[in-house]
Amino acid sequence: MANPETLRKSDKDIPKMAEKICNEMLKDLEHAKRPILEAVKCSLDNSIYDHKVGYLTPGKKMVATELNVSSVQKMARTVFFLEILLNNIKTGAVNTKRELYYIAKGFVKSDPHYRPLDFDDQDESDSIIQFICDMLTVYREEMNCFANDRGGQTYSKQLIVTEHLTDGTKAEVDLGSLGTTPFQPKNKPQNFKLKTRGKVDFCLVIESEGTANTLVSNGFTKRHKCIMVGAQGVPSNGVRGWVNMIQNQLKVPVYFYGDLDAYTLQNIYRTLKAGSAASLIRNQDFSAPHVHFLGVLPEDVKKYDLHCYPVNEKNIADARSLKKARDTLQNDPFFQDKKNRKLSDILHWLLKNKVRCEQQSIFSVDPKDPTTPERIIIEKIKNGSYV
Amino acid sequence: MAKSTQKITQHSTAEYFAKNLQQVGFSSPVKAVLTTLKEAVDNSLDACEEAEILPELEIIVKRAGNGASKNSELVEIIVDDNGPGIEGDDLPKVFGEYLSSSKFGRGRCSRGQQGIGISAATTWAQLTNAAGVKVTSKTSGMRKAVRCQIDVDIKANKGLAKSKETIEWDRPHGTRVEFKIDGRVQLNGDGGIITYLEGTTLVNPHLTLRYKLLDQPEVEVKRVTDTVPEIPPPTLPHPHTLKLGEFMTHAHLYGKVSLDNFLRKGFSRVSDEAIKGFIGQKMPKAFLKESINSFSEEQFKTVFQAIQGTELVNPSTRSVMTIGEESLSKSIQRLGQIDFFSVVARKPRICDYKPVAVEVAIARFVNKVNLSEENEPVQLLRFANRVPLQFDKAACAITNAVESVNWRSYGLAQSKDSLPMGPYVFAVSVVSPFIKFKNASKETIDASEDLVEEIRRALMQAGQKLSRHIKREFRAADLERKLQHIEKFGPILVQCLGKIVSAPPARLKRAEEGLAKLLGRDGRDAEKELAEAETQLKKVKERQKGGNSGDGGESAAEVSDDNVEADEQLEMAELRASASDEDSSSGARKKK
Repeated sequence: MANPETLRKSDKDIPKMAEKICNEMLKDLEHAKRPILEAVKCSLDNSIYDHKVGYLTPGKKMVATELNVSSVQKMARTVFFLEILLNNIKTGAVNTKRELYYIAKGFVKSDPHYRPLDFDDQDESDSIIQFICDMLTVYREEMNCFANDRGGQTYSKQLIVTEHLTDGTKAEVDLGSLGTTPFQPKNKPQNFKLKTRGKVDFCLVIESEGTANTLVSNGFTKRHKCIMVGAQGVPSNGVRGWVNMIQNQLKVPVYFYGDLDAYTLQNIYRTLKAGSAASLIRNQDFSAPHVHFLGVLPEDVKKYDLHCYPVNEKNIADARSLKKARDTLQNDPFFQDKKNRKLSDILHWLLKNKVRCEQQSIFSVDPKDPTTPERIIIEKIKNGSYV
Repeated sequence: MAKSTQKITQHSTAEYFAKNLQQVGFSSPVKAVLTTLKEAVDNSLDACEEAEILPELEIIVKRAGNGASKNSELVEIIVDDNGPGIEGDDLPKVFGEYLSSSKFGRGRCSRGQQGIGISAATTWAQLTNAAGVKVTSKTSGMRKAVRCQIDVDIKANKGLAKSKETIEWDRPHGTRVEFKIDGRVQLNGDGGIITYLEGTTLVNPHLTLRYKLLDQPEVEVKRVTDTVPEIPPPTLPHPHTLKLGEFMTHAHLYGKVSLDNFLRKGFSRVSDEAIKGFIGQKMPKAFLKESINSFSEEQFKTVFQAIQGTELVNPSTRSVMTIGEESLSKSIQRLGQIDFFSVVARKPRICDYKPVAVEVAIARFVNKVNLSEENEPVQLLRFANRVPLQFDKAACAITNAVESVNWRSYGLAQSKDSLPMGPYVFAVSVVSPFIKFKNASKETIDASEDLVEEIRRALMQAGQKLSRHIKREFRAADLERKLQHIEKFGPILVQCLGKIVSAPPARLKRAEEGLAKLLGRDGRDAEKELAEAETQLKKVKERQKGGNSGDGGESAAEVSDDNVEADEQLEMAELRASASDEDSSSGARKKK
């Protein structure tokens, strides 16, 4: 069984907080007064970024839902789901969002009284779970609700992971003994303790899981004392929590290597480094503020003569991505922070040159030598060629 | 060059068509039946309109045994009209001679234009059943009717009257044609006879039609207007619509006249100012006094080029006739019980230098057989000069225009560049004295940019009216849903709260009472809004009923007096729709 206390140091008593809210709602109803539920507004316009903090935090804006004919369904569903989640906390049961969707459907099926609450698809139950977390300002994981494991495949000859199991025992995984098989961090990496055999020089997070695997197969982790993580696109909560742990527990420099395009900078790198606007409440434990952007950098394109694709305003997808990049420069507090000026400069460069360059393009530098990408990456780390 | 041993022979027009009947609509047994019926009905309606008679048509289609060809039936098609009738001597010309027509090149909005269709039907009957068409006809000047069989003398392109007799006929005038042909009867679907007859009914509000198809019960559709459509007088051709060859042929028709006279009398929109313009475009002034009979090809070319290089006033739109929104509104209600329709008749416009009028009717029927379902494309009825077009839908200007409109912004489901979905009938009529068809069988209107745009604008105007209705419906449904929500979710909310706080039953009862008070207030408000919306809907329906004296559903027929104003509104709406599309379709790129 999971122990939510291990996620973060928190003095929040979730059952008590929930009971208080429900009690007040009931009291309002008894007096024919409209109950109001308030939740933190989790969106970019309520995001604050301070480079000293390192991640996006919520502002003061709140979303208030007052009971009326339009909101009665949402309120009934919220209280119904809250009961399921409180029961999970009480019994220590954990579930994914998909499972909770089916559990809710099961309750509806077993009691005809609940039939109007039925969820047509998972999006509807997910938004209720999110609303409950924003209302209680708690992590979804603290409500014993975990996402699927995705991404974060990790390779290292030095890293040893110790998991504290709920029965009091410990499990130790020595990544050095796994060969080229990756270690998959769980969706709740906070249960791990990390140690290393000898010194680790750096942690490298690669956007493409396939490229991370190629580098390992070619001997990258044998030749360098490092930890390599495949992000598999936009980093999931598990990946963000896992890189956060590596950064905080091992105090090693972390580098991110991915495509040179607006999407990677905005959606992948920014989410890894500072969290996302949708999860403002949890960014503290689900971001790695010290991660550096190793590349691909605009200067690499020139230096290594890397192949670029044109980004065409006439192409609908490209035009949309350019528009999003412009909006980001105007509205995203992360890119507006003066400490991240070099990152916003890259976005400006991309907008000006209207090109994008993929991370795999370094394989074209010396196609005969499979270790060239490794050489370039190490060279960039040594020379401080990163942001 | 080696001398060919083969003889060069000449063939008659009839021989050409007899060998190429597929080009004029006889490419399959199903199409043969429909085309024959269509040609007979077109001729009847045109004749009635010419003579200013309110048409009454009786149609019978029945099976008469097996056909001579494999997998075909012998089908008997009878069309009986109250038209002016045809003199006995003219019958062979009308039914048995190709390109013998009273309408050829006259620049009028008649259904028939070239004089091919009915002769082709006679030829098909002759080729498949060894007998042409049996015709009975009587004019008001005849004491008795003439009855005979007309065959086509294919070698000579001449009609032959056989077994001619005079008979008593209990009517002052009219014509009855009886075809027995090889074919196959298809009643429903795009190429079906019922679809054709319903379409013909829709665009001919002054028509009374009785029909009996196979074993089905007889159907009678009565006229909804007693006014015979006034056919506008033909106009002279506009010089910009001709090619050089056509220009020269046109000149030869005028014989020995000066160029100046020819240009002024032979064309529309050629004024003194225009002639000055031609001279300005390097047409020698001396040409004006010369007889066009003596013009060389080179001279014609010089004149033609000067004309093409001169800006001229657009041709007149007076030669175009329209059905009119009022008649179309009444007519559409003859097709079934309607719960909503919207009609738009645009003023005639110039497209590709030709006057064109576009009219659109969109209707949703209640319990109509064969109507599309929610997730199926709408039923599209296309008309050219008030004749239904039933084949080769994809390439038609009308289909292109319907597909180019963003129907999502008017509340209909639609995949990109496709017909919208839903249980609607879209009827689009294009009327012009010079419709450009893609083929001789007149199944598809050529999709020129100008024409598609004009049809598109009419559709968008109809779409806006439709959208207003859909939004009203949605609002009513939304309020209904909210009322249901109160009853459904209120008790559950109290029960779940009670469980979490372990509240005693007395507390729950108090909360339920408080909730009832709160939501009751909302409920009463919602009911009030719903009642208001329904009253408004009723008012609109009453207003339309009064206006149309029909008993159909709600109409959104509004006379669009000013195309320009409507076009400006459409452009704004389009901009808004494309902006909202952009917003709704924006999403993050999925990677790796």
